[in-house]
Amino acid sequence: MKVSEIAAKTGLKSFNEVGDKDVKSVYISDMVSDIIGIQEGNLLITLQTHKNLIAAANLVDVAAVVFSRGKIPAEDVIALANKAGIRLLGYDGDTWTLAKKLYESGVR
Amino acid sequence: MAKTACRHKWLMTNVRSGYLVIEGCFHCRNRISFFSEEPVPPIDDYQEGEHFWSHLADYQASKFDLKCEKCGQEVPLKEVMATMLCMRCNPECGVYQAGSQDRGRKTWVYVALCANTSHATGRCITAEGIRALNEYFNSGFQDPAKKIIVVPCHLRKSVDTCQGIVLADVGLTELY
Repeated sequence: MKVSEIAAKTGLKSFNEVGDKDVKSVYISDMVSDIIGIQEGNLLITLQTHKNLIAAANLVDVAAVVFSRGKIPAEDVIALANKAGIRLLGYDGDTWTLAKKLYESGVR
Repeated sequence: MAKTACRHKWLMTNVRSGYLVIEGCFHCRNRISFFSEEPVPPIDDYQEGEHFWSHLADYQASKFDLKCEKCGQEVPLKEVMATMLCMRCNPECGVYQAGSQDRGRKTWVYVALCANTSHATGRCITAEGIRALNEYFNSGFQDPAKKIIVVPCHLRKSVDTCQGIVLADVGLTELY
């Protein structure tokens, strides 16, 4: 399933419009040191909005990043994500509720 | 299959969680770093020969080795303390120049940081380790034009002026 399709189904807002990649799986983590071990193609859900996270997400080629709990990335974070072709999305609710919505939308 | 003929498919192995601890010597101004698997990272000052090491910073981090799932070869990465994204801040820096040789828009240079931050001893990450990291991080991209170049940190011109982004968990253990 494409990132744009998932965003539409679950009501995610977009912080940029780059990189409509295929989502192969979902990973939830708030630790950069944890993220660098995941496979490519993950939809990464996190609370962290700093540039370190984008640097790690680019290294492991995530499909997109979703900031939960209404977190908003700074302009320089969005700029780095744009350069890396990483779509940044936002969700106002908590991570658990988003995980349930993703599953109900057919994301496995 | 002979190990040298294998087209390696690397997997992370021996993943450990801990802290990247950075220390500095006020006497010679060298910096070192090490990985601590203690529950709480060490912060005490100590003397080691002519050096007087003081705690500068610590970040939650993880370490790993690489193992080929096809031939079983293992590459220990014990000297790799962290990875850093080059922000191309200095054209005179060896890391910047490593990326300039491949001017593709989707090429990203990451620096494998060793413990010997100031490189006073001349040691850095092994060529075998750098080769394995490059093969590992370049496997399986959705976009075939994307490329990751991993280089050893001895190419970096200055640790003081470098604007690279270290892939470590900054601030997670701090209370405000």
